[in-house]
Amino acid sequence: MIRSLPRVLAPAILSAFLLGACAEPRFFEQENPQRLSDWNLFRDDGSRFIPREQTLVFAPANPLFTDYAGKLRTMWLPAGGQASLRGDELEFPAGSILSKTFYYPTGADGILLESVDHENELDRQRHRMIETRLLVRREDGWHAMAYVWNEDQTEAFLRVAGASVKVSLQRSSETEDFVYFVPNENQCAGCHVTAHPDGPLHPLGAVPEQLATAGGHPSQLQAMRERGWIEAAPARTAAASWQDSRADLDTRALAYMNIHCGHCHNPDGAADTSALVLDGRHRNPVELGVCKTPVAAGGGAGDLLYSIHPGAPERSILLYRMESSEPDEMMPELGRSLAHKEGIALIRDWIAAMEGDCPEPMRAFGNG
Amino acid sequence: MLTKPRLALVVPAALTIAACGEPQPQLSFEESLQQRLIEAEPGDVIDIPAGTHELTRSLSLNVPDVTIRGEGMDSSILSFRNQLQGAEGLLVSADDFTIEDLAIEDTVGDALKINDSDNVTVRRVRTEWTGGPLTTNGAYGIYPVQSSNILIDGSVAIGASDAGIYVGQSTRIIVRNSRAEYNVAGIEIENSTFADVYDNVATNNTGGILVFDLPNLPVQGGRNTRVFNNSIVDNNTANFAPEGNIVATVPAGSGLMVLANDNIEVFGNEFAGNNSANMMVVSYHITGLPINDENYDPFPESIHVHDNSFSGGGAEPDSEPLALLQQATGQAVPDIVWDGTTLPGKSAPDVICMRGNGDADFVNLDAPGGFAAPSFEIGPHDCAGEELPEVSISTGP
Repeated sequence: MIRSLPRVLAPAILSAFLLGACAEPRFFEQENPQRLSDWNLFRDDGSRFIPREQTLVFAPANPLFTDYAGKLRTMWLPAGGQASLRGDELEFPAGSILSKTFYYPTGADGILLESVDHENELDRQRHRMIETRLLVRREDGWHAMAYVWNEDQTEAFLRVAGASVKVSLQRSSETEDFVYFVPNENQCAGCHVTAHPDGPLHPLGAVPEQLATAGGHPSQLQAMRERGWIEAAPARTAAASWQDSRADLDTRALAYMNIHCGHCHNPDGAADTSALVLDGRHRNPVELGVCKTPVAAGGGAGDLLYSIHPGAPERSILLYRMESSEPDEMMPELGRSLAHKEGIALIRDWIAAMEGDCPEPMRAFGNG
Repeated sequence: MLTKPRLALVVPAALTIAACGEPQPQLSFEESLQQRLIEAEPGDVIDIPAGTHELTRSLSLNVPDVTIRGEGMDSSILSFRNQLQGAEGLLVSADDFTIEDLAIEDTVGDALKINDSDNVTVRRVRTEWTGGPLTTNGAYGIYPVQSSNILIDGSVAIGASDAGIYVGQSTRIIVRNSRAEYNVAGIEIENSTFADVYDNVATNNTGGILVFDLPNLPVQGGRNTRVFNNSIVDNNTANFAPEGNIVATVPAGSGLMVLANDNIEVFGNEFAGNNSANMMVVSYHITGLPINDENYDPFPESIHVHDNSFSGGGAEPDSEPLALLQQATGQAVPDIVWDGTTLPGKSAPDVICMRGNGDADFVNLDAPGGFAAPSFEIGPHDCAGEELPEVSISTGP
């Protein structure tokens, strides 16, 4: 105990020192501190939780659904640090910190509400913070961790093994009780390691095509350039967004799958065992699951024969698994407890508009 | 750098933080176990004490060279009957992995999934759904996939709604001394190569042992499996797999089914009382499912069946063509059933060679002819098939 005491106290002492000095975010090269406040990414004025002005609040062009929670994202690069473009990714310097705080607007009697606006700061009177996830770029690569907010909303604590948080969520007139799951560190890797199992952990939101523009914001790459965080804003087209009502159905559906399925269902992903490639880049019908029978779906097959039955969303396993909230059936496996009604509607329309048909099996040998 | 006055300022601040900082949240058994799995170092042994431990979320391990060890498959029990999250009980993606002497019960999805791992030992592990054979049970009990050098030894798998012990898209596999019962498929080797399956008991499943090769998978061309010295008895449980899955097409009462696999040696087994047929060799076409994969070979070849004992079975076939055959002959379905399909240019002995199986009887169903002219001639299959070499695996770092 005595030996470990100075190591525990050292960051606190140092951050307390820096807090007075320049109020900069604080990077930890080795240890993950137990408290979110140790990172000093946010300012707390007593009622509001405000990102430090050194950080950049950003939003991706094509966002992931997480139980209708709002997400306040920040990016910070250490003084003098610069990211460089490498292929489709930004290579961030060691010391960079990305944060994402999941919150719900609060309603009456502790009921939480669907988040509809992008907030640039969070107000304890109006918001309930659930968790803050960090992606920290160290010398050896990215590290992921989640901090879970306490009941009083005064601090968030590191939870290596994740956490389960009971939530009552009101959407339009309905209230739904569910358990919101904060991911454990392996589950972070479940999405952020796209080349299973030994690939590097990497950001999914802080990539050029996601940053190129978002929600009417000016290019966030330009904002990075103005801060000196990149040499020049790369000429990038923003990722297609599943939310873009002007885009055609096919584009929106593939964009939806790209962000919700592609981290596992890519040619190197954890779900390549299924041979379904749903990264929005592959359009081969069999890889998308058109008339493809399941391999190891178990109950997730929903007593259906084909992943996608063109023209028949109600006979398509893909839609069934999006509609299900059973842990062994639902897709994506992580990141949600609730069904995403808007996403389901999109994929339903997309399958309904597909032409073609799948054969009825003869069942010559079986008992079906 | 630091001057004395600054230090003086810092110390009270640190004391304040220590004093008013809130206590860390207390970790439950499940949280501390998951944390140990995340923070494990290569070489670590993670002990699971005796007792029934309730878990609500999937466990996962990504660290290589870790052993998870309980105090016995009936003592150290990880119970997921109240599971809320995760498609499996324990998900492992780690080389040099050993799990032994514990049970994983009542997971909502798969019990033990091991993905993309090399050198895997599963020893004296029980996976079970304790409510009996139910469609709502998870799909797989012990489930290595896209892995290599796999030893499953002395284990027990009960109640899986797909396969109790399922090895998929893998190579260099030994499944031995294990027991599979009340699963849809007892033991299944799928899209895999170089597997030895021996000294196991498969009973009261829908199908005892399945050796399958399926289309549209990144790893296919299943071959070189030896199934020997197993007891494959009374696999007559009604099929309770969810529709849509390939095993949902397996008739109840299937002893051993070889589907579209090549170079399979079946010997020294005891087949008894499997009421559709003790053994079947079929092509993928028998499923009636479309094939849209030009690299896929749907036909079984070089199946060598010798020195097995067959008794009973075939009395209540759960399959239309077999039931029609039974009606037509007034006899039980023969011990060994072949659907009669071959690649163009191949003949009966290219598909199955049989010798030394006592008085086992046989039928070629003539599936290509619409089951119109079944043949009971065993003679065309009286040939000396290939004897496959023993499978050797390396396990451990």
